[in-house]
Order: sequence, then C-alpha cells, then structure tokens
Amino acid sequence: MFKPMMQKRIAVAAAAAAAVLTGLAGCGGHASAASSGVINAVGAENEYANVLSQIGGKYVRVTAILTNPNTDPHTFEASPAVAEEVSTAQLIVQNGVGYDGWINKIESASPNSARKVISAQQVLGLPTDTQNPHLWYSPRTMPAVAKAMAGDLSELRPAHRAYFQARLRAFDASLKPWFDAIAQFKAAHPGVTAATTEPVADYLLTAMGIKNLTPFVFQADIMNGVDPAPEDIALENGLFSKHKVNLFAYNQQVTDALTISIRENAIHDGVPVVGVYETMPTGYDYQSWMMAEVHAITEAVTNKISTQQLK
Amino acid sequence: MHALYTAIFEPGFFASPQVHVAVSIGAVVAVVSAVTGVFTVMRGQSFAGHALGDVSAAGGSGALLIGLSPLAGFVGLGVIGSAVMDLIGVQRLRGRDLATGIVLGAAIGLSALFIHLTSISSSITGVTQQILFGSIFAVTPGTLPVVTALGVIALAVLGTVGRPLLLSTVSPDIAAARGVPVRVVGLLYMLALAVSVGLSSLVVGAILSTALLIGPPAAALRLTRRMAWAQLTACLIGVLATWLGVLLAYDSYYWGASHESLPVSFFVVAIIFVGYLASGLRVARGRRCSRPS
Repeated sequence: MFKPMMQKRIAVAAAAAAAVLTGLAGCGGHASAASSGVINAVGAENEYANVLSQIGGKYVRVTAILTNPNTDPHTFEASPAVAEEVSTAQLIVQNGVGYDGWINKIESASPNSARKVISAQQVLGLPTDTQNPHLWYSPRTMPAVAKAMAGDLSELRPAHRAYFQARLRAFDASLKPWFDAIAQFKAAHPGVTAATTEPVADYLLTAMGIKNLTPFVFQADIMNGVDPAPEDIALENGLFSKHKVNLFAYNQQVTDALTISIRENAIHDGVPVVGVYETMPTGYDYQSWMMAEVHAITEAVTNKISTQQLK
Repeated sequence: MHALYTAIFEPGFFASPQVHVAVSIGAVVAVVSAVTGVFTVMRGQSFAGHALGDVSAAGGSGALLIGLSPLAGFVGLGVIGSAVMDLIGVQRLRGRDLATGIVLGAAIGLSALFIHLTSISSSITGVTQQILFGSIFAVTPGTLPVVTALGVIALAVLGTVGRPLLLSTVSPDIAAARGVPVRVVGLLYMLALAVSVGLSSLVVGAILSTALLIGPPAAALRLTRRMAWAQLTACLIGVLATWLGVLLAYDSYYWGASHESLPVSFFVVAIIFVGYLASGLRVARGRRCSRPS
C-alpha cells in the first residue's frame, strides 16, 4: 500500500533535486541582491532546506547547514565558512527554540534589513521556553513553515508569485499520505505506549496517539548531554523489563555508553527499537523521511519489527 | 526511625546498579588517590598532579574520538605525560612550575580540540561533562575490574618504593647520599601518580581529579604526621567523601519537584573541601589549647 505513495514521493524528490540543480547551474557563484535571478537561501537544518528548495524551485539556491545525520546537532558550532554563507543569504529558514541559537548570533552580527528570516518557532507562535525543540516532527509545522516560505519568496520575487504558490499547493498535497498514515494508525491502535532516549520524535508520537512513558527530565538530560539520575535510568529500564511499552524510539544521533546499554535492555526484553533522527538522513526528502518513521513505528507496533536505522 | 532511614537512603539506593558501580569504583579510586596523594602533598607537587589531570583529559577525549574507552586515554596519556614531565624536570624545584604550566596549557588545548572533533564527527554526547567533570553514574559495570587492576598496580609500585620514596621526599640529599636511586624512585612515583589521576578522572572528571588526590591527604596530614596514619586517614576521608557524594547525588533527585539530580563530582569535591576546613579547625584548637596562657 506504500508503493504508489513512494513513487509519488520519489517524483517530488526528483523534481526538487532537479530544481536545485538547475538553480545551481543558473546561479554560478553569488547572485546579486537584485530582484531578479536566483535567491540565495539557507536552511539551518537540512529538513527545512529541503522543503525550501521544494517551494522555491528554480528560483532559489539553498544551502543546508546541519546535514550530518551521524552527529549531535545540539553541539554544533558554526565555522567562519558557515557564517559567511548565512550572512550573505537573502532568506534564512531556521527552527528556533534555542535549537539553532548559533544562527541568531550570525544574523545579529551581520545586520541586513533586506534579509528575510523564517523561524518555525515564530511561525507556530511558540514560546522560547518550549521544552521540545524538534518541531519538524509535528504534522502542523511544515505546512505553516512552507506557507511562510512561499510568502517570503513571493516578496523577494513578486513576478514569480504564482510559481511559488503552485509549488506550495503541490507540497501540501504531497503531505497528505503522511497525514493519512498518522490518522490511520491513531484510529487502528489506541493505547500504544513508547519509551524514548530523547524527545526527538515526541510530537509525531503524540500525533499518532502514542503515549511516551519516559520521564521528560530523562529525555532532556540525554538531549543536553547531562547524566540522567540513577532513579530515571531504573525507571527507563523498568519500562522494558515490565513490558510496559510497545516500542523504543532511539535517537541515532545522540548516543553514549548509557543509551547503548538501555537499547540493549530493550532488545533483550523483546521491545522493538525504532531509530529516529534529528537531521534528515541521506537519500530522503522531508516527506519520505517522515513517512519512513511512521512506517517504522507501525511495523514495531503491529509486527514487533525493529527498524534501528533508516536506509 | 524508619522515616529517618528513608530520608537518608532514598528508595532504590541499594538496588540501583549505577550506585553499585559508583560506590565500588569510587572506593578503589579514593584509596589509590589517598595513598598516592600523601606523597604528592609532602613533595609539594599538587600542581604537577593537577597538570597530569589535564593531560589525562586530553587522553580521555582523544580516546573517545578514536572510539576507545575514555579510561584507556585517561591512564595511557597520563602515564606518557608523567614520563615527559619527569624528563623536562618536575623533580627540580626551580623552573618546575613553568614546565608543569606549559604541559598543562598544551594538554587543555588538546582536550578542547578532541572534544570539538568528537562532537562534530560522532553521535557521542555529553563529552565535556564526561571528560572534564566526571560521569560516574554512567560508567558501565565492566569497568570495575580494569579500575581495580590499575589501582592494584599503582599501590604495588608505591608499596615497593615506599620507604626510599619517603626518604627522598623528606630529604633528597640524604636519600642520594645513602644510595637511593632518587631519579628512578621519582619516576616510579610519577607513574603511580598518573594512574591514580587517570582513575579519579573517571569518578570526578579530569579537572576535579586534583581535589580527590590532594584534598583528603592534605586534611589527613593536618591531623597526623605519621606516614601510615596519614595514609589511612586520607583513605577514610576519601572513601567517605566519595560515598557520601554518591548518596547525596542520588538523594538530590527527590529534593525538587522536577526530579533534576545534581552531579556526583560536585558533592564529592564539596565534602572534601569542608573536610579540609574542618581539619584546620581541629589543628587551630589544638594549638590554642597547648599554648600556655
């Protein structure tokens, strides 16, 4: 049942990739800041960059800063090359909620009144002290951010407003299979529970009607690189040994001896493991990535199959 | 009575595998640090001890970077560093501050590089905390035999050279005149010091390892001047501080409504500090009483 959706997804991805390539070819170095030609844009995280190139198409040259799905994004430090890339961009899309605080510093160090900045946090109207920064896992995030992207792109290149709006509609339509899969799961599997190492996929779990039984303090400790309390470790391991959870969502990008030992306990107690990522893994676009995570969670709950890594 | 007991030992303390590991490794490390540290304090080499802590920080972070256990790096680079420091002359009084300071600065610089590279090249998290400030609750149980073996080696070395080391510590000239190979004895002591600092980096972190190394011996040497008593007292203070630190860190989970626990290394170091101040009070009172009015 995933086949037709996958094909559609691949078609969208191919179109997006082609658009980026033509954008690059047409650009050939730094475009001028004039109101014609290709827009230089930056996505702080590669999932936002991916959606931005899907909306901007041939009129945008997008650079993604956080692209490595094997490192911890919370410890990222901007290099001078990144600072240069960000400070010369005409459009920046970032997550906010302190997840990419480094980009705010670069922006304020290189003031530019013509530059447009979209923060997912601001688009969603979330407070700065929002506990879970992994906003792109929430089904309501990308439609709103994509709409803001189309709006800002249209202001930068008013002549192409219709083009951006058409691509926005195509993007929104391409999210429907993901929304459907979430709704379908929620209706078919009430009362599902999960354990996690970090709040990476928590918004998605909530949307799917899955209750995360891991205390938030534990998730925040792992996220922030702080040692969790022995009490919380005991509680977490108890979720597996007492078979209180249907799956274990494991952040592949933030690991240490402790998270690895917890994963071993989950496997030992027969709890299926689902690898989740903060950064979009190679070979995916935003939609296919989110679909793959929903698919992996569904497989874990219905067939007790682990998907430790997305390939 | 039961209420008091549960207030001191919050639920699950004795059942927690993390507590078991922390208490056993903590005890071994405290004993090794105390026995070594008495010599360190008497030889006036606290600063060299601290520099070795920084060298083991570079080792621990480097080990994580190439996928080894941080303990291997803590001890491995510490031992190499101690040999280098011996070569460039920490045994000479003049100029040894400078040599030690130069090594210390370079080592911390390397730690900064390795921690950065580990963070940007791998999914390993909490490196700064683990290397610099210790992560005893996150140490795996398999580490205990390694820690014990290394601790036994360090103690065996000190036991073998104990008497000539004490003599060359108190008076290098007399020791040399009596035919003690001062240089060799000093080098062996430096190696034992490196192992002990490397081990305590595991418990309280590389930066704080000096506290465990010199704190309990310094307090003990205020209470007694006899070598064996000083070492025994230092062991007791060190083990108590470590165990109490583990207990308080465990209990701190229940102090606030948000269940945020506080780090073990803070408690251990704070208790050692209080212990040192308390030993000073006792010495001061002793002096006042013995003085005729």
